[in-house]
Amino acid sequence: MVLFKDWMVRGVSACILVVSLYSPALYSQVPNPQAPSINPFPNYANNGVVNQSNNRNQIPVTPSSFNPDLNRQQQQNRNIMLEVEQNQKLQETAMKEARTDIEELRGAVRYTLQTYSKFEGTQFYYEAFKKIILLDTTFSLKENNFLVENAYFGNTLDKAEFDKIITQSGDFIHAKMKEQGYDQNSNAAKNFMLFQFFSETLQLKSTNQKHLPFKYDFDDYRGIKNYAKMFVSKLLATKTGQCHSMPLLYLILADEIKAEAYLALSPNHSYIRFPDDKGKWYNIELTNGMLSTDSYISQSGYIKSEALQNKIYMENLTKKEMLSGLLTDLADGYIHKFGYDEFVKTVIDKALELSPNSVRANMIKANLDSARMDFVLRQIGNRPLEKYPQAIDMIEKVKSQYSFIDQLGYEDMPEEAYQEWLQSMNKENQKQKNEELTKQLKKALSNKKSTIKG
Amino acid sequence: MIKNYILGVLLFTVSLSVKAQNQEALFEKSLLTLNDMLVNESHYSFKKAVFSVENAYLNGKLDSLAVNGQIKVLKELCSLLINGRFLAYVESDKPDVNKWASVYQVMCDSIPIIIKDQEYRYIPFRYDFDDVFGNQELSNMFISKLLTTRKGNCHSLPYLYKILCEELGTTANLALAPNHIYIKHQNKKNGWYNTELTSGIFPNDAWLMASGFIHVDAIKNGVYMKALNNKESIALVMMDLADAYQKTFPNNDGSFLLNCSQTALSVFPNLTSALIMRAEIHKKQIEKETNIDKAKQDFKKLEVEYSHIHKLGYRYMPEEMYLNWLVSLKTEREKYENKKLTNFNKK
Repeated sequence: MVLFKDWMVRGVSACILVVSLYSPALYSQVPNPQAPSINPFPNYANNGVVNQSNNRNQIPVTPSSFNPDLNRQQQQNRNIMLEVEQNQKLQETAMKEARTDIEELRGAVRYTLQTYSKFEGTQFYYEAFKKIILLDTTFSLKENNFLVENAYFGNTLDKAEFDKIITQSGDFIHAKMKEQGYDQNSNAAKNFMLFQFFSETLQLKSTNQKHLPFKYDFDDYRGIKNYAKMFVSKLLATKTGQCHSMPLLYLILADEIKAEAYLALSPNHSYIRFPDDKGKWYNIELTNGMLSTDSYISQSGYIKSEALQNKIYMENLTKKEMLSGLLTDLADGYIHKFGYDEFVKTVIDKALELSPNSVRANMIKANLDSARMDFVLRQIGNRPLEKYPQAIDMIEKVKSQYSFIDQLGYEDMPEEAYQEWLQSMNKENQKQKNEELTKQLKKALSNKKSTIKG
Repeated sequence: MIKNYILGVLLFTVSLSVKAQNQEALFEKSLLTLNDMLVNESHYSFKKAVFSVENAYLNGKLDSLAVNGQIKVLKELCSLLINGRFLAYVESDKPDVNKWASVYQVMCDSIPIIIKDQEYRYIPFRYDFDDVFGNQELSNMFISKLLTTRKGNCHSLPYLYKILCEELGTTANLALAPNHIYIKHQNKKNGWYNTELTSGIFPNDAWLMASGFIHVDAIKNGVYMKALNNKESIALVMMDLADAYQKTFPNNDGSFLLNCSQTALSVFPNLTSALIMRAEIHKKQIEKETNIDKAKQDFKKLEVEYSHIHKLGYRYMPEEMYLNWLVSLKTEREKYENKKLTNFNKK
C-alpha cells in the first residue's frame, strides 16, 4: 500500500515537473523585445505563421501594432518572425534540458509491479495464503482447497455445510461398502466404491438414500468465463465438474474414508491413480467414469519423453506437490480476479520451492516475469536500454524461464486436441480396456473378500 | 602322400588359429579405441568407432578407403543442398537445422541433381525388410552394407545419419526404442523432435508410446526415448562390438563380453542390452559352477539382476511385432506425424 502511494506521488510530481519546467522557460528565456510596445507573442494565427500552441500567450493586438507603412510593417513582421523562430529554438533547447532533468529525476525505474492490495477482496487471498502455509505441516486437502475457493468468494462459503457434505458422503460410501460385503480395510474396495460413487447411481437399501453420479461439464470447462467452474464447491452444488474439481473431490473423499489414492497429471489434465491390495496400479478417468490405461494417457500426443524423464506427468503427486498445486490454484484465482503483482510472486515462489518442476507454477512464473518486464520496459520507453542493466537482466531471465519450461518437455495442447482426446476414450477399444480393467479390479476384490483375516 | 596330407591339415589348422588370433586382436583393438573415446573426449569420433567394430567383424576386410570416399560424396551432396536451397526457418539455430535437413534429404528424399545440363535423380536409401535384427548375418546391420546396397535398417540408417551430421560439423542424438534406434534433435522453434529414418517421417512421441511395447517406467528411467549423449552412443557401439564378438567366437569364455558390458554400463547404467548381456554371462557362469552353495548364492544375485531389468521397464519385443509397429507409422501416418515439422523441410 505504502509503495503504491509512493509511486503515485512520484508519478504525479513528475507530471507537474513537466509543466512547471516548461512554462517558465517560455517566459524567462525569451530575449527582450526590441520594440517594447510589441508583445513578443503577438497573435499571428490569422496569417498562419505562428504555431497555434503559442496562442495561450495571446494578447489582444494593440492599436500601436497597426502601421500604415506597409514596408515597415513587413520589416517588423520579419523581425518578429525571426524572433519567434529564435524563441522556438530556445524553447526547444529548454525543453530538452527539462527532459533530461526529468529523466534524471525519473531515472529510478520501478522494478516491481504495482500492488492490488487496495482492491476489495485481496485481503482474503493474503489471509488464505498465510493459513495454507501454516497448515503446511498437517496437510489437509479438504481444508486447503476450501481456503483457496473461499478466498475467491471473499470468505462467503459455508464451511459447516461443506464439511457436512463431505462427512455424509464418507458415511454413505462406508455404508455401501458394508452392504456389498467388501472388506472395509481393502484399498481396492475403498477406491472401487469411491469410483462408483462418482460414476454410478447408488442407493442404500437400509435407508433408501440415493446418490446420483457426477457428470462432466463440457461448458466452459477451463473456467475462462466463470472461474468458479473449476471449483469443488461448484461440483458439489451442481453435480457437474471437470478434470480439476472431480479428482480433487475424489481425493478429499479418499482422505475421508482413509483410502490411498493419488493425483497424477497429464497435459491440461489430472486423473487418479490408486494401488490395489497387491500393489497393482489403476488409473481412474473421472471425467467419463472409466478406468484408463497408461497408453491411453500417453496417446494424447502431447506428452514428450522428456516430460516423463523429468517426472512432470503420470506420476503420483506427493503431499508437497499437492500443496504446491493448491498454491498455484490460489495464485491463479488471484490473477484471474485482480492481475499480476508481487503477491503472486510470493505465492509462486513458495509453490516452486515445494515442486521445482511444476509446469503450472513455472508457467505462472513466466507470465508474471513477462508482466513485470513489460511494466519496466514501458517506463523506460524509448530511452536507451543499455543504461538499465537491471531491465536487460529481466529480459534474459524471462527468456531462460521460457526455455526452462521447454526443457521440462512441456508442449502446449490445443483445446480441440484435448477435447478430441477426452472423447477418444468413448471409442470401442478404450471401452473394452475399461471393461477388462474393471473385471480385473472386481476379481481382486472378490479375492480379498474370500480371504480370512487372522 | 600321407605325410603331405598331415602337413596340410596341420598347416590349415595353424593358419586358422593364426587367423583367429588376428581377429581377436582386432576386437581387442576396437575395444581399446572405444574405451579411449570414453576417457578422452577429444578422441571421440562416431565414424571411427563404428568402423572399428565393422572392421573387426569383417576380419580387417573393411574397405575403409571406399567407405570414407562414399561418405565424402554424401557430405558434398549435403553441402550442395545447404547452399542451394531455401529453408523456411528463422530462429538463431538455423545453421544447424539446415544441416540436419540436408542430411535428412540425402538419406530419405530423391533429389534432382543437374550435372552439365543433364538432370539426374538421386535415389535415397531404402529400408531393408530382410533380416532386420541381423540374426542371419550380422553385417546386415552395417553401414558398409548400407553404402554398397543402399538398403539399410534401424541400425545402419541412424548411424550413418549421425556420422554425416558430425562430418558437417553439427550433432545428432541417437535415441532407443525396443529393438530400435532413431534420431532426436532439439531446435529453438519446436523443442525436441524425432526423425525416423526407416520411413522418413518425423513421428511424435505418441507413436513410440502407443506401440504398447514401451513401458512408461522405461521412458521415465531413460531406458528408451532419451536423447543419448556421445558417451552413451559409444556405449551402444561397444555393445555392437560385443554382439559381433559373440557371433564370431560363439564359444568364448565371456570375459570379453563382460568387459564390454561393464564399460558400457559405467557410462550408461540403464543400457538394457548391456544389463542383459551381463546377466546372461552370469547365468552361464552359474551353470558351470560346481560349488552348489555358491551357485545358489549367485542365482539369488542373478534374480536381482533380472528383476532390476524388469523394473527399469524393459520388455522383450518379437521381430514380427516390431515390423508391424514400424509399418504402423506409414499406415497411421496422420495420427503420429509431427505436423509442425513437415513443412519447413519442403523446398
